Amino acid sequence: MEIPLILQPVAVLLASAVVVPLIDVVGRAAKAEKIREIFAVAAFAAAFTSMLNLYFEIGRTGPQSFVLGDYGPSLGGVQLYADELSVFVSLLFCGLGLLAAIYSVKYMEVDTGLDKYYSLLLTLVAGLVGVSFSRDFFNLYVFWEMMCISSYTLVTFRKYRWEPVEAGFKYLIMSTIGSLFALYGISILYGLTGTLNFGAISSMIPLLRERAGLLTFYLIIAMLVSGFGVTAAVVPLHTWLPDAHPAAPSPISAMLSGVVIKAGVYAISRSLFTIFSPLSFDYGTLLMILGVLTMTIANLGALMQRDIKRLLAFSSIVNIGYILSGLGIGAYALTTYYASFPQIAISAAILGVMGALFHLFNHAIGKGLLFLGSGCFVHELETRDISRMEGVGRRMIWSGVSFSLGLLALAGIPPLSGFWSKLFIILAGFSVPESGLMKVVSIAIVINSIFAASYYLWLIQRIMLKKPSEKVGQASEAHPLMVLPLLILAIVLVVVGLWPGMIIQFAESAARALLGG
Amino acid sequence: MVEVWQLFVTTSALTVIIGLYCVASKRNMIKTVIGVEIITSGINLNFLAFGYGPYGQDPLAQSVVITSIVIAAAVAAVALSMVINAYRHYGSVDVKKLSRLRW
Repeated sequence: MEIPLILQPVAVLLASAVVVPLIDVVGRAAKAEKIREIFAVAAFAAAFTSMLNLYFEIGRTGPQSFVLGDYGPSLGGVQLYADELSVFVSLLFCGLGLLAAIYSVKYMEVDTGLDKYYSLLLTLVAGLVGVSFSRDFFNLYVFWEMMCISSYTLVTFRKYRWEPVEAGFKYLIMSTIGSLFALYGISILYGLTGTLNFGAISSMIPLLRERAGLLTFYLIIAMLVSGFGVTAAVVPLHTWLPDAHPAAPSPISAMLSGVVIKAGVYAISRSLFTIFSPLSFDYGTLLMILGVLTMTIANLGALMQRDIKRLLAFSSIVNIGYILSGLGIGAYALTTYYASFPQIAISAAILGVMGALFHLFNHAIGKGLLFLGSGCFVHELETRDISRMEGVGRRMIWSGVSFSLGLLALAGIPPLSGFWSKLFIILAGFSVPESGLMKVVSIAIVINSIFAASYYLWLIQRIMLKKPSEKVGQASEAHPLMVLPLLILAIVLVVVGLWPGMIIQFAESAARALLGG
Repeated sequence: MVEVWQLFVTTSALTVIIGLYCVASKRNMIKTVIGVEIITSGINLNFLAFGYGPYGQDPLAQSVVITSIVIAAAVAAVALSMVINAYRHYGSVDVKKLSRLRW
């Protein structure tokens, strides 16, 4: 029996997660312990390849769908569904997972229990990919919790230190309560419609709107946004993130900041835009307000950090703010202006959502690069204090240069990719001439970007330009296996910055898939 | 006339509130984990209450609840293992002792 293409990535990842500990036992017996690393990297590569196949298949024949078992979707059968948006985010998930696995080979060498580490990394990515393929809430919740439980465990992987345990417990409690709130919202939605399938629910919403009252639906929207928003680190639910990201091992910080919080954004946008049409529900305002709050408060928090990974963690929250406001601008334009200027509203919505998705891509690549790069410095110097790693970029030239490229890209310096995505979000805000609120949001993004760019440049100056102290002077370049993922990510940022056309096209088709054509 | 399912929905909302209160007010880490479990059972009850119809229980709601119980068990296992590790580091399960990380 041939496995359908859409099941392959998840199946490969889950099966290898089970096999890794067995391989480890065999490897120990045969005195070839590296075999588990090679196997894990190969599993990620296989999943990435099957994801690429799926992408080409979707390009040829349109969205793929698969229903598990004999139940129809409306009876609650598990439905997997992949369109351009799902593939857009899950290619990122698998790609960054592959690079994090390559990086871990050297970085995690000193730790024990690595069979569990690779197993958990594989289930983490399997959960992420599953979330992006789910077409019903049941499936979404199961994959969501699979992802969450793996990431709690990975944050506390170095349990012999106090910091990961404390941060991990905080993360676990906050994130679990968040997921439960989302589940509560889902249960109310189930009570109203009697089904959990996205398509079936969204077709019943217009009929139920009068009977159940608008307030019930806004309650459900609030529960979904706050529930998934904990993982997406939306202010005021962000407090776990600046603790958990620095405490985790660097490849895991890169995964958390690069893709796990993006899964939160994905779940918010997928459940809102697919189920509640932006034409009849006004959640754009909510998303814009949350976005502006998120970026402003996180920027202020980032100013007082001396710990390099903590600074980067705050900057992740800032970028989530940009992404949310991009989505909010898109939804708001459709809600408010579709009746009066349908053409302008649609183009503004596509521009805003496309900018948000493009920024999601840039931030995943850029922040993955930054956390892996800071991991190189931390691995070499064994400190996370910025003042004690001044000038380290001069000693570790490859890591230093790619680290600075990542910072410049996220600061939005023109030839690099971060510039384009911010430009699209800001342009979307200005594209409806009548709207004051959208302009205010765009101006807030501009101010916050300039503000963020100032501390990125400050960090480059500290890392690259200062004279190295005696201890830093003894640092030498990290192992090639740790530098390779950095170089790949830096090259992606430069290439996408110089030729953004292809990825813009991909993001635009993803935005159209999200908004429903 | 109050219907049966309405009673159950109200009970489940109260259970969720009790669980939230437990998480917010208790200083013992184990009690915090218990609070999370109470919230889970409240939400499970909500699913079952909505799934109850004239032909009996909807299998969809049952399968969601069974899966959710399994997931809650996994979360509790991870959380309690963290409590054990916290106890090894701090010699206490008081949440207030875990405040070395600032905001």
